[in-house]
Amino acid sequence: MTRLFDLLLYAFTWLCGLILVGAFGTLVVFLLINGLLALDFELIFGSTAIGDALFLKRVVIDGLLPAIVGTCLLIIIALGTALPLGLGAGIYLAEYAGKISKSFFSLIFDLLAGVPSIVIGLFGFSLTLYLHKHFTSIMPCLLISGLALGLLVLPYLIRSTQTALEELPTTLRLTAAALGADQAATLRFVLLPQAVSGIFSGIILAIGRAAEDTAVIMLTGVVATAGIPRSLFSNYEALPFYIYYTASQFRNQQELQRGFGAALILLILCALLFTLAGLVRKKVSKRLMAK
Amino acid sequence: MSKFLLSHPVTFYEGINACFIIDLDMKKIIETENLSFYYGKRQILDHISVGFREHAISAITGPSGSGKSTFLMTINRLWEELNGAKMSGRVSIFLDHEKLDIYDRGVSLSWLRRKVGMVFQIPNPLPMSIYKNLVLPLQMAGFKKKEYLRSKVETVLKQAFLWSEVKDRLPDDARTLSGGQQQRLCIARAMILEPAILLLDEPTSSLDEKAAREIETLLFSLKKHCSLLMVSHDQAQVKRVADEVLELVDGRISELFTTPSSIRSTKSGIGHFRP
Ligand SMILES: Nc1ncnc2c1ncn2[C@@H]1O[C@H](COP(=O)(O)OP(=O)(O)OP(=O)(O)O)[C@@H](O)[C@H]1O
Ligand SMILES: [Mg+2]
Repeated sequence: MTRLFDLLLYAFTWLCGLILVGAFGTLVVFLLINGLLALDFELIFGSTAIGDALFLKRVVIDGLLPAIVGTCLLIIIALGTALPLGLGAGIYLAEYAGKISKSFFSLIFDLLAGVPSIVIGLFGFSLTLYLHKHFTSIMPCLLISGLALGLLVLPYLIRSTQTALEELPTTLRLTAAALGADQAATLRFVLLPQAVSGIFSGIILAIGRAAEDTAVIMLTGVVATAGIPRSLFSNYEALPFYIYYTASQFRNQQELQRGFGAALILLILCALLFTLAGLVRKKVSKRLMAK
Repeated sequence: MSKFLLSHPVTFYEGINACFIIDLDMKKIIETENLSFYYGKRQILDHISVGFREHAISAITGPSGSGKSTFLMTINRLWEELNGAKMSGRVSIFLDHEKLDIYDRGVSLSWLRRKVGMVFQIPNPLPMSIYKNLVLPLQMAGFKKKEYLRSKVETVLKQAFLWSEVKDRLPDDARTLSGGQQQRLCIARAMILEPAILLLDEPTSSLDEKAAREIETLLFSLKKHCSLLMVSHDQAQVKRVADEVLELVDGRISELFTTPSSIRSTKSGIGHFRP
């Protein structure tokens, strides 16, 4: 009886894994089949010479370079603002918050996590309108989109930091305390090095979320053609928006294929960023554990 | 001529009230006065007044749940890391002939815990290398110089009879050591801060006979560096290593002996002092 149950459980869990791998595999193959043909230098740089495009001598109008740069900049701005805040708030919740403030803050952050991205986009949009009223030069732009995306990914960063720290066994804290560590030293020398990989899984999630979100940027400054943004206050292009835009307005098969090419590039970009995050994680945990 | 003092009266199982004779000349390292302890409303320790000798191994025995671990935690204030605990009374330690109330406002927790080291029942190496485990307390205390750290590591590993076994594998994860080695590592880690007092909570109960004996020998040799206060429920072990014994039952002092050999012989009698 139990043998049979064990076997069934094993088969079921194995099947779940297989289905997911299969689904992901299908997705990748589908993208490859459709996008690979379109994927070339022309797709990225258009008719501009590669050197001219990279050194900003000429604006790329018919290629994806501006969208790639735009997406990268969005991720940098979003993570750059959300990461310190998220880490700080997560550490506060796990280590310092009292019972009442903890449940209060947790509630707020859960609510924030539940806010659909379109609502956050709307908030960014209203903010822009408000700012525009007072400083007419402010228009929907890269900075506002980046900040709104930061708000979107903040809950992931807070939660992953908090759980990574809270999951650590109590003996770790007691051991550190018994060795004369105060709270800051316990955190710095014992807890954070152990929590690094948990925190980084949150960071990876946040990168992915910031890279793919379309709703927020649509309302806060993304446009179809803008070239590489000149400043934080200019319009910009972004990959997910390009994909959305081509998929909804394509006039011929070739244009649709370019959309698939863009999707493939987004996927590759994310994979690269994840690898980078993994490398940074190794580096950070080495630094924290250093002799 | 020695001076003697009668201790706080103690009630035994049979309802006999008695006082212990405390030798005032014997140098003490720890002293508690009317120490009571509560988890929530539950009283765990009940007015314990007792003193322990300097450079000796003092053992605390007693049935499970009698408050032995709790008692130890009042001496490095580790219980303050737990929720819902409360304490009254006084605990003092003697450093350089000066009596110091460790619950005094001016006492820093980090400082105290560097003076009063602790070894736990289950070996608790941190999830890092052997070397890093040992230098961590020093680093947290602000020591940075590499050569100093290295030489301290060697010193304490030798003190803990562990040097020859681990000198070639210092960068290895500490959790790859055997249980006995891990416990000796933990003792070495506690000793690296040169504490005046070392608290040990059943340091051998998770180990086999041979590893336990090695630890006992080690503890014996540590007496010259510090004073040891060890919880143990192994009567034979207490007899082997302890210089004095305190028995706790239900959070009260049941018996207090200055020589462990008298444990059995006076089990139902009145504790007495043997110089
Ligand atoms: N964190 C805690 N919260 C509430 N009660 C506790 C806590 N820790 C211990 N106790 C209770 O305090 C009493 C004394 O515990 P303590 O650990 O001091 O006993 P002990 O003498 O060390 O026992 P053992 O020999 O089993 O280790 C026990 O009844 C225990 O249930
Ligand atoms: Mg105990």
